[in-house]
Amino acid sequence: MKVHVDMSICLLHGQCVIAAPEIFSFDDAGGLVWVAEIDEVQAGDAEAASDACPEQAIVLG
Amino acid sequence: MTQDALADDTLPFLDVADPKFSIRSQAVLDARDASWCARTSYGLAALRYDDVQKLLRHPKLRQGSYRWPAHNGVTGLFARWWEAMLLSQEGDTHARLRRMANPAFSPKLISSLIPKFQALANMLIDQFAAKGECDFIADFTEPYATGVICDLLGLPFERWRELADIAGEMGLALGVTFKQDLPTIEAATQRIFDFAEELVAERRARPTEDFIGMLIQANADQDQLSDQELLDMIVLAIFGGIDTTRNQLGLAMATFIETPAQLTLLSERPELGRAAVEEVMRVRPTVTWVTREAVEDFIYNDTLIPAGTTLHLFSQSATSDPEIFPNPGFDITAERKPHFGFGGGTHHCLGHFIARGDMTEALKLLAQRIKNPRFNGPVEWLPDSGNTGAIRMPIAFDPA
Repeated sequence: MKVHVDMSICLLHGQCVIAAPEIFSFDDAGGLVWVAEIDEVQAGDAEAASDACPEQAIVLG
Repeated sequence: MTQDALADDTLPFLDVADPKFSIRSQAVLDARDASWCARTSYGLAALRYDDVQKLLRHPKLRQGSYRWPAHNGVTGLFARWWEAMLLSQEGDTHARLRRMANPAFSPKLISSLIPKFQALANMLIDQFAAKGECDFIADFTEPYATGVICDLLGLPFERWRELADIAGEMGLALGVTFKQDLPTIEAATQRIFDFAEELVAERRARPTEDFIGMLIQANADQDQLSDQELLDMIVLAIFGGIDTTRNQLGLAMATFIETPAQLTLLSERPELGRAAVEEVMRVRPTVTWVTREAVEDFIYNDTLIPAGTTLHLFSQSATSDPEIFPNPGFDITAERKPHFGFGGGTHHCLGHFIARGDMTEALKLLAQRIKNPRFNGPVEWLPDSGNTGAIRMPIAFDPA
């Protein structure tokens, strides 16, 4: 599964980091980083993160 | 040397603890022109859009309103709950509770709830439409906000008045008259915990598939959700859902009464319902400030902010900041930068998809069914700071 974050609408709330810390994290400069390609085992966490995003900025495919 | 902000008497001072203080006053506008921040009775206030946006998610800040009871010299039942519940937690405990609660507030649930929101709004409007007048709070926003929570948590709608009263009385804790209103707040807190305990006993006997059922399942493992956390979470879901939506819808009606052409526009173009919610929350948020606290000394805008400082981020003044909103008037067709009415960052409002959904349907239907609304007697307001809103709002209107 591919993970993409639309950074034009992301407001860096960090809800994805709480919902799926193995996929999303903040770097030292406070920017959002994520694993772009995940396996099926992580799909549930990715969906939880996508649902939890207040701006609905996460695209899974 | 960098000046300690709390000791810097060149910064404006705002007496925000005074119940007569208004977050929309000239003093706040002047302070915002003069400086990015003001000193306040509690610490500092950030006044401008860019600073509020940055400070909402600043790594040197934690959620700060856990200190609100202490700021008001208050202890007791409400304070115990407030300091323990999800919003006041940080780190691993916060993440565990938030992950648990998230699925019950997922955007995927909204489409199935919309017909329920519409039926509830129509049922309530039916009761007063022919009379051409109502108390918009007692007759609409309270039963509506409470009815949505009843739907969501499977609570008996027949008890809406009792639950709305409890939420309204507990909500007094989020204003600057917290200490003065303490007996009322404590009694309401006792009643909501009694209600939650009753509910848990009932759902243990007859399990449900909803949010409460899910919490009770999690509670089977005390490390996942302790007995106290279970009750605290149920109280948060009931209180948090009712009080804020009640207030925000009242503020919406007041805003439309002051700018009637916008209500006409919404009745002609119901697809603007969601934009109307966002615009109301920009110009008249019930949550007029969001609170943070410095976890260590840090420098921001050449200002030293000492560890332990409370920062009130003034959502109200930030989203009327002329630097960002050169035409700040209420306009439901305008493209706007995001407001801060749901807070932001780790503690962004959990129930915002539901709140946005239910308020959108309510405003659309009100615009269609209530024409030319006007105030029909004195409106009773909470202090114009903290979590604000109307307690009583008599209105008259022309039935559609």
